[in-house]
Amino acid sequence: MRLRTLLLGAAAAVAITPAALAERGSDGEVKIIYWQAPSTMNPYLSGGTKELEAASLVVEPLARYDQDGNMVPWLAESVPTVDNGGVSSDLTTITWKLREGLLWSDGSPVTSADVVFTWKYCADPAGGCAQSEKYNDVTDVKAVDDLTVTVTFGVPKPFPYGPFVGAQAPIIQAAQFADCLGAKAPECTDANFGPIGTGPFQVTDFRPNDVISLEANPNYRDPAKPAFATVTFKGGGDTASAGRSVLETGEFDYAWNMQLAPDVLGAMESAGKGTVVSAFGTLVERIMINLTNPDPALGDERSTKAHPHPFLSDPAVRQALSMAIDRALLVEIGYGSAGRPSCNVLPAPEIYKSTANDGCLVQDIEGAKALLDGAGWVPGADGIRAKDGVRLSILYQTSTNAVRQDFQALIKQWWSDIGVETELRNIDASVFFGGDPGSPDTFQKFYADVEMYANNFDGTDPEAYMANWECKQAPTPETQWQGNNMPRYCSEEYDALVAKMAQTGKLEDRATLAKAMNDKLMQEYIILPLVDRGRVSAHSNTLGGVIMNVWDSELWNAADWYRTKTQ
Amino acid sequence: MLNYTIRRLLLAIPTLIAISLIIFLLLDLAPSDPTANLPLTIPPEVREKIRQSLGLGDPIYIRYLLWCKQFFINEPLNILEQWLGWGEGDRLRVLSWQTRSPVVDLIVERTPQTLWVVGMSYVVGVAIALPIGIISAYRQYSWFDQIGTFVSMVGFSVPTFFTGVLVIVIFSVWLGWFPSIYDTTHEVTDWESFLFQVRQMIMPVAVLALFNAAQISRFMRASMLDNLNQDYVRTARAKGLRERTVVLIHVLRNSLIPVVTVIALGVPQIFGGAIITEQVFKVNGLGQLLIISIQGGDLPTVQTLTFIFAVLIIVFNLVADVLYGILDPRIRYD
Amino acid sequence: MSDTGGQPLVQVRGLKMHFPIYAGIFRRHVGDIKAVDDISLDINESETLGLVGESGCGKSTAGRAVLRLYDITDGSITVDGTDISDVDKEKLRHLRPKMQMIFQDPQASLNPRMTVAGIIGEPLVEHMSLSRSERLERVYQLMDAVGLNRSFADRYPHEFSGGQRQRIGIARALALNPKFIVCDEPIAALDVSIQAQVVNLLEDLQEQFGLTYLFISHDLSMVRHIADRVAVMYLGKIVELAPRDDLYERPLHPYTQALLSAVPEPDPVREAERKHIILTGDVPSPSNAPIGCNFCTRCPRAEQICREIEPEFRQVEKGHYTACHFVGDTEIKTAEPTAGERVKP
Repeated sequence: MRLRTLLLGAAAAVAITPAALAERGSDGEVKIIYWQAPSTMNPYLSGGTKELEAASLVVEPLARYDQDGNMVPWLAESVPTVDNGGVSSDLTTITWKLREGLLWSDGSPVTSADVVFTWKYCADPAGGCAQSEKYNDVTDVKAVDDLTVTVTFGVPKPFPYGPFVGAQAPIIQAAQFADCLGAKAPECTDANFGPIGTGPFQVTDFRPNDVISLEANPNYRDPAKPAFATVTFKGGGDTASAGRSVLETGEFDYAWNMQLAPDVLGAMESAGKGTVVSAFGTLVERIMINLTNPDPALGDERSTKAHPHPFLSDPAVRQALSMAIDRALLVEIGYGSAGRPSCNVLPAPEIYKSTANDGCLVQDIEGAKALLDGAGWVPGADGIRAKDGVRLSILYQTSTNAVRQDFQALIKQWWSDIGVETELRNIDASVFFGGDPGSPDTFQKFYADVEMYANNFDGTDPEAYMANWECKQAPTPETQWQGNNMPRYCSEEYDALVAKMAQTGKLEDRATLAKAMNDKLMQEYIILPLVDRGRVSAHSNTLGGVIMNVWDSELWNAADWYRTKTQ
Repeated sequence: MLNYTIRRLLLAIPTLIAISLIIFLLLDLAPSDPTANLPLTIPPEVREKIRQSLGLGDPIYIRYLLWCKQFFINEPLNILEQWLGWGEGDRLRVLSWQTRSPVVDLIVERTPQTLWVVGMSYVVGVAIALPIGIISAYRQYSWFDQIGTFVSMVGFSVPTFFTGVLVIVIFSVWLGWFPSIYDTTHEVTDWESFLFQVRQMIMPVAVLALFNAAQISRFMRASMLDNLNQDYVRTARAKGLRERTVVLIHVLRNSLIPVVTVIALGVPQIFGGAIITEQVFKVNGLGQLLIISIQGGDLPTVQTLTFIFAVLIIVFNLVADVLYGILDPRIRYD
Repeated sequence: MSDTGGQPLVQVRGLKMHFPIYAGIFRRHVGDIKAVDDISLDINESETLGLVGESGCGKSTAGRAVLRLYDITDGSITVDGTDISDVDKEKLRHLRPKMQMIFQDPQASLNPRMTVAGIIGEPLVEHMSLSRSERLERVYQLMDAVGLNRSFADRYPHEFSGGQRQRIGIARALALNPKFIVCDEPIAALDVSIQAQVVNLLEDLQEQFGLTYLFISHDLSMVRHIADRVAVMYLGKIVELAPRDDLYERPLHPYTQALLSAVPEPDPVREAERKHIILTGDVPSPSNAPIGCNFCTRCPRAEQICREIEPEFRQVEKGHYTACHFVGDTEIKTAEPTAGERVKP
């Protein structure tokens, strides 16, 4: 882990060499537009993404995530692990060491007392801290010396990187917020609007929900950075106009969250003033296979383990369905640069991403046909394959959504090419995802053969996400149809992997386990991943150094941004 | 007239208190949650804590009285004390839930751009509407009148989010003449910066002015037509007055009476901002403040803003009535 | 046309005032309202010519047209030796002082936002170069002349009664020493008790300033009181014109006869004996006048000729003109209608 981090850091350093040669403030102004405007600069008082990202220019955590989801030390010297002794072997304490010589933008030194104060600030029950989830189970934070703090948890934490890690949990200055604890937090307007930080910039003027003016932090730890002397962070408007201001008029340098139709975004980009960049997290559009029989004749036992599916319990059929899909075409039609084909249900972060299943990227109609032939499914008079009187006829459900209905139509066509009949059905999203145990149309009840939706998990740690497909997670009438295991998948091997991960602290080992679980689901074709959906932003062609990041603030490396001289 | 004004102002006090209560109750009944916009990753327990810290746990009458105290007592006293230097002037003010900062400061911060853009568009709108209305009426059914009617219809019926985006695409994207995003931090210090201010104001002002002018020019035209056929106009002609005098002194002055009151009644709209136009051009004035406060479930801000609008509407209703009394000798208040 | 000495002050020949009617999407000219259709009359200096007729007959339009408050369709108007029928607006404006008008509705005809002094003084500003104090003095004189208290000078029209307002209107008309005044139903909107006062005032002023009036009214008895000669209008045309007594004693045109039969007699005995001629039907639209005689649709004596040929307006006796096929050479002594209802009250 450590080595990998260093290598990545080095790679990033090489990538940004042109900027590193520059002098602090030599590139003038950079203009950023967020179509939702930040209302405060204190991330602990607002959980919104826009506030977190604006604040990330000023306040920083001990460690954060890079573009691949790897943890990199930020204010800390290194990321503590069990291996380097930073995390205790019982997984209940973690000890962070601050870098030496760090200064706040007002010139005072950053100490472990600031870290302890940050925890106290967010943990105060009267303060309404929006990020208190990050400090869950923390029983104490102690300053060992000026630069060392130890966080103690009440329970073993195999993944102890909640507190002080990522854009949601940055360190704030104890001196500035000393009188702002608990109920007094909202009254410290000056501090909330202009926190003193360690980041590359400091606030000069904050207009809530409108515009933030920032300037280079004179006490930033790297004397050559940031390249920009000032930042104008404008908020408000709508997605299209923000995109237009970067891609078409060139008034702004960076626009966030371009949720636009692929053709609209493409037309804007063709003006030649800017570039659309995307980064991918864990959101995967997928088809879930029902391994149980949804036949209405079964009454209360419909879609339960008592009755295996008549033909989807045959792995060959599931595999053939997957092989018939052209994932690249789906991406092109539905998401453009905001999507990419995926063969994994756990597509990221990088260390968890398996490469064992990439065969699915290529559509193989003939292969699918051959597979079905080999398994004894032969076409009948109507072209639909059947075996022992069981016809391959599928009910395919999803929520009502233009892109999803396009996908349904395409997939129906491909499946008919291999001799599978498909009936399409779409259900209003509020019903489909509503989880009402009384409704027959929820995605948990799964009264269909296959269903399609997207899901993801928060943060970088997939432990809870991969546990979704444990046996006991299958929705049943006994559990009021609650549970996340839609395919009703049940494998002792898989459950063992889940249990093992809950006791493993070492990151590399955790990654191995998660990949194994992913591969098992993929290779048994329990879940057919389709598209990995990402986040899209746009930056001007004259802005260099932008590295999109879905695991942390998009502005995480703003210190490395620079103006390209050639344009 | 003075007695009348004072009596109306006194009557306005109970009216406004009732309005503030109604607004408060309506906002409270409306399904809005200040934590609704937070990312899904924030768990329900944390949301509940945030709601408690905003005071949502208190009963409604406590919250209303608290707002009243903060707005009607603390705010004025703070201002008074800070002016006179008597005390600290740091009583608890009305705080926004979104920004956790005093609502009144937010309003003060946003008033300049709203007045500049929306106010200017009103002035420009009136300035073009009056001549158009006058000429349209004087030359009723002429080409000028027909074109004026058409333009008014367009200005009135085509929404500003369409015209706004249209002018941005034409003048910012294709021609590159004007910025598409309004810079609220810009300060006018010299000729150069004044020109920039003009450039960034042109599009929003033009779009809104078209809308305002469409409305007012119709009023002006109708009012002129009413008066042009009056007997006193024939009298004026019979007196041998110049046509200019007849139209501009006799007809116009009488026609302006209802128009002036319509204009006065429209003034509170300026302070209300132009929600859509501000959004399209990123002017971020009072209209945008109101809409994001509504979206964010920021009750104190919505309550304070709407209450101030209510005050302005009542005040300008009074202004309109008083103006009517001044302009029209037939109307006397006692 | 007149032989009561000298050149007439006002000469109207063949005056036509047609208002175009537009209709349809493209507002095409589809017809005309012939409000005044070919009238001719003279008004002598210092006389009062009464112009009577039912409402809608075009008498007010005729009055306004004579003063060129409209751009007339055809004909000529000569006032005090100047042909004003097609002079341009600016020249006309300079001629305005000579000819003035008193309007029917004293409320509507006064600008509500001007004070009495402003209303009376405005023509002075426009047409005379007087100092402020001279002008005020003149306003006061005029107010005296019409019997208005000088202290009312700064008040607004709405503060006065109807009679007082009409006095303001008269003072305003007198301001520029006109020779000729068109009085357009000046008393119609007034209480009966006030009517006599205003009429008397008009008579006094006529004597005092040597004014010439065209007195438009539907009130036959008031016209009888004030006019020297009387013209009767029906549907845009003059049907009869005669010296006052002549007309009232011996009306020749069936329409005049019908009109006069409606005037109540003060003497109850004669009133009881009086025969009423009730006209049936409505006045035809001036945009669609009948062929032949305008009155043929309602005339109790109408015959075929009336529906074919328009009767000529001609002198049948000295100073007595009329337009009827049955009057003239075969003089009809008795105004006995041969048809129509006779009703006793």
